[in-house]
Amino acid sequence: MEILPEFELHQPDSVATAVKLGAQTGAKYLAGGTDLMPNLRHGLGDPISLIDVSGIADMQAIENTAMGLRIGASVTLQQLVTNPLVLANYSLLIEAANTIAGTTHRHHATVGGNLCLDTRCQYYNQSEWWRKSNSYCLKYKGDSCHVAPNGNVCRAAFSGDLAPAMLVHGAQVEIWSAKGGQRIIDLDDMYQDDGANSLLLKPGELLVAVLVKPLPTFNTGYRKVRVRGGLDFPLAGVAVAVQGRGNKLEQVMIALTGTDSRPILLKGCDDLCGKPLDDAALKALERLVRTQTKPMRSTFIPNQYRSKVAVNISRRLLLDLLMR
Amino acid sequence: MQNKASVELHMVRPNQAAGARIPLVDGVEKVTGKAQYTADLEARGALVGAILRSPYAHAEIINIDVSKARALAGVKAVITGDDCGVAFGILPISELEFPLAKGKLRYRGDAVAAVAAVDEKTAQLALDLIELEVRELPAYFTIKEALADGAIAIHERREGNVERKVDDEFGDVETGFSAADLVMERSYHCAEVTHAHMEPHAALAEYDVERDLMTLQSVTQVPYYVHLMLSQCLDMDSSRIRVIKPFVGGGFGARTETLNLEVIACLLARVAGGVVRLKLSREETFLTHKGRPETDIIMKMGLTQSGKITAVQAQVAQRGGAYGGYGVITILYSGALLHAIYDIANIKFEGQRVLTNTPGCGAMRGHGTVNVRFAFESLLDTMACELGMDPIAVRRANLLSPEFETVNGLKGLSYGLPECLDWVEEASAWQQKRGAMPVGKGVGIGCSHFVSGAGKPVHWTGEPHATIILKLDFDGGITIFTGASDIGQGSSTILTQTVAQVLGVDYSRLRVIANDSAITPKDNGSYSSRVTVYVGNAALDAANNLKQILLQAAAVKLDCRADQVECLGEAYQVQGLPNTLISFADVVAQAIKGGGTINVKGTYFVPREHQGLGKQRGAAVGSTPGFSYGATVAEVSVDQDTGQISVDKIWVAHDCGFAINPMSVEGQVQGGVWMGLAQAISEQTRYTNGLHMDANFIDYRFPSIVESPDIEVKMIEPGDPNGPFGAKEASEGALSSILAAVASAVRDAIGIEMNATPMTADRILAKLIAREKQAKRQQPRKQEAR
Repeated sequence: MEILPEFELHQPDSVATAVKLGAQTGAKYLAGGTDLMPNLRHGLGDPISLIDVSGIADMQAIENTAMGLRIGASVTLQQLVTNPLVLANYSLLIEAANTIAGTTHRHHATVGGNLCLDTRCQYYNQSEWWRKSNSYCLKYKGDSCHVAPNGNVCRAAFSGDLAPAMLVHGAQVEIWSAKGGQRIIDLDDMYQDDGANSLLLKPGELLVAVLVKPLPTFNTGYRKVRVRGGLDFPLAGVAVAVQGRGNKLEQVMIALTGTDSRPILLKGCDDLCGKPLDDAALKALERLVRTQTKPMRSTFIPNQYRSKVAVNISRRLLLDLLMR
Repeated sequence: MQNKASVELHMVRPNQAAGARIPLVDGVEKVTGKAQYTADLEARGALVGAILRSPYAHAEIINIDVSKARALAGVKAVITGDDCGVAFGILPISELEFPLAKGKLRYRGDAVAAVAAVDEKTAQLALDLIELEVRELPAYFTIKEALADGAIAIHERREGNVERKVDDEFGDVETGFSAADLVMERSYHCAEVTHAHMEPHAALAEYDVERDLMTLQSVTQVPYYVHLMLSQCLDMDSSRIRVIKPFVGGGFGARTETLNLEVIACLLARVAGGVVRLKLSREETFLTHKGRPETDIIMKMGLTQSGKITAVQAQVAQRGGAYGGYGVITILYSGALLHAIYDIANIKFEGQRVLTNTPGCGAMRGHGTVNVRFAFESLLDTMACELGMDPIAVRRANLLSPEFETVNGLKGLSYGLPECLDWVEEASAWQQKRGAMPVGKGVGIGCSHFVSGAGKPVHWTGEPHATIILKLDFDGGITIFTGASDIGQGSSTILTQTVAQVLGVDYSRLRVIANDSAITPKDNGSYSSRVTVYVGNAALDAANNLKQILLQAAAVKLDCRADQVECLGEAYQVQGLPNTLISFADVVAQAIKGGGTINVKGTYFVPREHQGLGKQRGAAVGSTPGFSYGATVAEVSVDQDTGQISVDKIWVAHDCGFAINPMSVEGQVQGGVWMGLAQAISEQTRYTNGLHMDANFIDYRFPSIVESPDIEVKMIEPGDPNGPFGAKEASEGALSSILAAVASAVRDAIGIEMNATPMTADRILAKLIAREKQAKRQQPRKQEAR
C-alpha cells in the first residue's frame, strides 16, 4: 500500500499567484508530476500544499527573445520536441529530451521538472518501509549516507538529461519569488554538488523559464548510457557541441549528467582546441572527465563502470561530431 | 431453440478449429478494459487489509503488541502469528511457512501482522501502532554464509540450512570421462530473477458469519491448492470454502503455490466478520517473490573427437530463500532435465537447495532447468570451439530418436529437436555468419526442452489428472466447465478450439465457465505447462462423449444406425445423403427429449509409463506425457565503448507437437524468448544486508521494447501420440535456450566467454578491459622471447 499524503492542491493561473502560494510553509511546486508523485507515494516528502504550475500560460510558451530562445518551464517534453522554433535551431535539446523516460511520461513531464529533478540514489528511491528498515539516510530523515558512510555530504546523483544539453547551449534561468521578483542566473549556478540540496533555489522560488542561445556553427549531440533504452535514467550522459575544421577542434563545450549530484559543465575544454584531435588530445579529454566527475555508489551499477563509460561516450561523441 | 441458420444448412461444413488462428476467447475483455481483476472486483463495504512487514532479516519474536492498533477507531481486525498455528506449503514434505510469522522472522519483508480497517489511511496508521520486540539473530544472505559451520538453523527442522540435497548418478561418469577426448569443467553463476507479472498480488475474502462460509477470490494459478491450504490453515471443512479465480494478469509460476496473502485475507475477513480486500504494492509483490533462485553451477563434460558427449557431471547450489516453497522440486528438476534432450549415457548430479534470509524462491517459467541449461549449453559451445567443431554439428552428434527412454527412466514419444536445429540454421544463415561477421557482431546457438505437464501431481490422490464437464441444454449452447486457470496463456481458448474441433460446431455455441470451486470441476492448476495436454485431453474426451450422445440422437431422428450418421457440426445427415440433412437444433431437441439437460464429463489420466519409473528418489520429477524442444539462434552486436549488448534478431524453433492455435503458440514462444532474454541481459534481484534493492519496475530491469529484437518463430509439429491432436507444451520449452544462445553470440562477436547472467554492460566492459590489460602485459614478454 502506498498512499499519497494529504495535501492542499492549488492551481494558480499566474506566476505572481503561484509564487505567493509557494512562499507559504510546506508548499511545493508541481508540474508534470512524473517524478514528484511517485516520490510522494514512497513517502519522500510530506508537503502541506502543492502548487500546480502546469496551467500558467506564461510558463507554457516558447518564443524568441533578445536573450535567446525562451522556453517556459511548464512546457512538456513532448511540446519541446515538436516545437518549430526548437526544431529549427536546437536539435541537441530534442535529442536529449527524447531520451527521457518513456513516451507517455514525456507528454506530462516538463522542462522545468527535468531541470529541477530530485537527485536519485539506491538508498533514497525506496519505500518508507524500506528506508525505515535501513535507518533512513542523509538525504531524508536520517543522519548518515549509505553511499559514503564516512562523509557528511549526500551523494545522490543528478539524473536529468536536459541540463547538460542546456548547459552546452549557455542556458540561463529565470527565477521568480514573492519577495524578490525576478532574477536571471546561469543555469550552471542553479546547481551545487550536494545530493540533498542540489538546487540553489531559496524556499518559494520558482523556475519560470530557460533562456538558450543557438549554436549555428556547431555540431551537437547527446549520448546516454542506461540499462534500458525505453525508460531509464542516465548512468552517464554527455552533451557535446563542437566547432572544428578537419580533425582540428576550434571550439568545444561538453557537459555531463548522471555522474555527480549536479550536472557538470566540463572546464578546461579550451585546452583541446586549436590542435588535432589525436590520441594525446583524447587522453587529455579523459583526464578532464575523470578529474571533474566522480560517480559514487548511488546506483547498484558499479561506479567504476559509470566513470569509464562517461569517458568513452564523451570521446566517441566528440570524434563522431568532428567527423560529421 | 430457434434455428435461424436453417436456410444455409446446405453449406454446412464442420468447424476446423484445431490449428486455427483465432483470437483468444477472453481477449475482448482484456483489450477493452472490461476484464475485472481481483483488485477491480466490486465488493460493497470491503475493508482494507494491510500487512506489517519485518524490518529484520533474522530475529526471534519476543513480543508483538497490537493493543494500540486494535484500539484505533476504524480498525476491524488485527492478527498475528498467534491467530493461525498451522503451517502451509505447496509440498506436503515442506510445509515451513505460516501465514504470519510465528516465533521467528526470517527475511526483511516477512509478514509479521495484518490489519483490516475502514480505509487505507487507518490501515496504515494501525500498522504504525504495532510494536514489535525482537532479539536479532545472525542473518545469512548467501549460500556460503548459510552453510558455514556454526550457522544457526533458519528453520528448526532443517539443520545446516539445507532444504534438500540430491545426489544421483546414472551410468558411470568416471568411465564416461575416461572415454572422452576432451574433458572440460567450468563454473557458472546465475543471479536471482523474479516473474515481474503485470498484476500485483491481490486477494478478496468474504466471510459469511451466519453460515460460517468463506469465499476467496485471488490472483492464483492454482485455485485447488489454495483451497486445500485454506481448509488447513483456517481449520474449516473444505466444503465451507469457495475459491474463485477472476481474470489474472500473469503468473509465470509466482502464483503456483498458495501465497500467504491469500490466507491472511481470509483470516482477517473471519476476525472482522466481513469482506476484506488485500492489495499488495509492487514492492510487496516483489518481496512475496517465489522466483528463480540464484544458482551456482559447476559443469563438467566429456566429448569425443566427433563431438559425442560421453559424460556430464553437474554440481548445482541454489539460494532458496527463507521458505521451502517449491524448492525441492526446483532442485530435482535441475537434475532430471539434464536428461531427455540429448542422448547421454552417463550423468551425475549433485544438487542442494539452501535456505537463506532472503525472500523465498519458487517456481518460475522453465522451472529448475533454465540456469542449468545455460551452463550446459554454454560449456558445449566452449568445447565445440575447443574441438574446432560447429556448435550446431556438436548438437547433431548427440540427438535422441523417438521413442526414447533415458537412463533415468524418462520416456518421450516425439522429438522435434533435429528439425528445430535445421530451421534455425537455415533461417539465420548460420553457416554464412558464425565466425564470419565483423568484430562486435556475432551469432550464437542454444537448445532446450521442457515437460508438457508434470507426470505426477503435487498431491497424489488417485483422481484423474484433469476433468472437464460439458453442458448442453435447450438453447443449443454448450458450456465448458473447467478448473483450468487461464492466466493469460490462453488455456480457455485451447479448450474452446478442442471442443469445437470434435463437435464441428461454431465457436458462437461455446462458452467457458472457469475457476469457481462451487461450479467448475477440480483442476490442479496452471503449472508445469500441463494444461494443453492434460485438460485438453479431458476436453477431447468430454467432447467425444457428447458427440456420441448427439450421434445417437441424430440416428433416431434420421432413422438410421448411429455409425451411419455424418456430423457436419451445425447439421447432421445420413452419410453421403444431403437430402436427409437435419439441423443441430433438431438433434439437440431429440437428445434432451426424455432426459433433459445433458451434462457429460471427460477425464484424463497420464499414462502410467509417463509418470516416472522410480529409478531415482523423486523419480516423478521430469516425467511427462511429452517433452517440448526448442532451438534458438541469437544475433547480437556488442558496443565495445559501453559493453552493451544489443540483441538484433532471434530465430527460434519450438517443437510444440501440434499448434492448436498457432497465433497463441507464437505469442507464447515470443513471451518465453523475452523472459529468457531478460534474464540473459539485464534482470536480477539484489540485496544489501537482505534488503531488496530492486523491488520496483525502475530498478528491476526487464528489457523495454527498445531492447526487444525481431523474433522469428517457427513451430515444429511432429505430433505427439499423447497430446490432444498431437499437441505438447508451447511456452516454456524454448526459454532456456536463449541465455546460452546470447552468450554464444557474444563469444562470436568479441571472443569473450560469459559464464554469468545477466550479461550486463558493466560485466562485459570489465572483461574487455581485463583482456586489453592482459594483452598489454603479454606483448613485451613476447617481444623478449623473440
